[in-house]
Amino acid sequence: MTTSDLHTDGNELAGLLQEIFVGEITGAERACQSCGARNAVGAHRLYHGAGYVLRCPACGDLAACIATLPRGYAVSLHGTWLVGRAP
Amino acid sequence: MVTIREIRAETPHAKTLVLDVPGWPGHRSGQHVDVRLTAEDGYQAQRSYSIASAPEGADLELTVERIDDGEVSPYLTEDAQAGDQFELRGPIGGYFAWDASSGGPLLLVGGGSGLVPLMAMLRHLRAAGSDVDARLLLSARSIEDVLYRDELDRLAGGTAAVHLTLTRGPAPPGWTGWTRRIDRAMLAAVGPEPDRRPRIYVCGPTPFVEEAARLLVALGHEPTSVHTERFGPTGE
Amino acid sequence: MTPPISRGFRGRRRSEVDADRLPPGQYATSDFPVLSAGPTPRTSLADWSFAVGGAIGQARSWTWDEFTALPAETVTVDIHCVTKWSKFDTTWTGVPVDVLLEGTEPWGDFVVAWCDGGYTTNLPIAEVTGGRAWVAYEYGGEPLDAEHGGPARLLVPHLYFWKSAKWIRGLNLSAEDEPGFWENYGYHNYGDPWKEQRYWGD
Repeated sequence: MTTSDLHTDGNELAGLLQEIFVGEITGAERACQSCGARNAVGAHRLYHGAGYVLRCPACGDLAACIATLPRGYAVSLHGTWLVGRAP
Repeated sequence: MVTIREIRAETPHAKTLVLDVPGWPGHRSGQHVDVRLTAEDGYQAQRSYSIASAPEGADLELTVERIDDGEVSPYLTEDAQAGDQFELRGPIGGYFAWDASSGGPLLLVGGGSGLVPLMAMLRHLRAAGSDVDARLLLSARSIEDVLYRDELDRLAGGTAAVHLTLTRGPAPPGWTGWTRRIDRAMLAAVGPEPDRRPRIYVCGPTPFVEEAARLLVALGHEPTSVHTERFGPTGE
Repeated sequence: MTPPISRGFRGRRRSEVDADRLPPGQYATSDFPVLSAGPTPRTSLADWSFAVGGAIGQARSWTWDEFTALPAETVTVDIHCVTKWSKFDTTWTGVPVDVLLEGTEPWGDFVVAWCDGGYTTNLPIAEVTGGRAWVAYEYGGEPLDAEHGGPARLLVPHLYFWKSAKWIRGLNLSAEDEPGFWENYGYHNYGDPWKEQRYWGD
């Protein structure tokens, strides 16, 4: 198993992100704070640690960290997320 | 909350669950649902499953492949019965979704159970009566592991060009498909050429998706045209 | 409102275990799930070293050969992950943190474990001394798998297992407490499973 095998991708976060942000986010683009690359959220790498860790597919830097708490979520977002307006 | 209406075997390791979903709003092909199971002691497990049925389909269907040391798939493929219930959230996903109205050409690359959302796209293509140039390349371990085999035979030569490669020998007698892991030559043979700007969807286990995406970009396809959905190390 | 029960669903193979060995909210398992905040680092033993530094009188570092020549212990402990699984009677071999700090004259009260891949976690020095913590390089008598933290990971079984940092390369002492990765992103600064200290505000 190589280092690339243990992650999935941002698609798996779609349902959770929808609860947090109400709109669909995985089609949105994120510009990385470290390397500047722009990628759809669904194309980012998702790791399962204590909580979710989403990473830039180009440089591996942190894009989002989400912990599910008893009464809500601890959400940390990095980079610039281009989110569409809800219709 | 949803109820299993019927369970259908697809291969020795995979089953399709036909679901009754009150108030189902409809979906786009490629989208998925989040399934949550709760045990009697309160323990919960959640997994995402791609929707197998077309948006035009009468029923909502999921195809689940059993992962040996999985937690949820052995339950869904071996223990679950018609009448059983679980929680479902969806439809979900805007990145890995395709509508016939978006046009093509359409290139679908699937590894194992990664075929499921791609099959929803092909079923949608057929139901919508679209004449989009659609091509499927499916990599499977053996012919017995190919999901929807009869349906793929019916689609081939009509709705879409269907290419298969088997990665674990031996191939069945009379086999005319490939017998190796996907590579650049294979993807080039399937086409279409990058200058036709196909919409590309790649789905399957993470290593398969990473390799296929890398090869497609190396062939000259625009990276943003390659949509990916990774299932994890073993595809659960 | 209680969620609907899925008939017959049990989840991972669960072990039968004394209820008083199971912290509140946990489920016993015989599996060993792999969880990670990022890709698995692949550091060769030739490149590996371990360092103790920071608020300390005598900084130290060891190569792999030097580290594995240090006095080591084999311990059998229960481990508890904040994602609710607990695993009983796990056996590890490693160097007690007490041995690593011997003669270093630490004057900071807090420790940060820092790791390949950038992961960090913080602990009061009292939680890693007095025989409560090790830097382990074997699990079940075999070299520790990379996906479980090999070449070496911190082992602090009395706290939630995110404190047992995988791919550890050093301990940095400090006079001030510096929250690590998960402590910065919603998880409890201390992490005692018996008080169910999972998240901020618990």
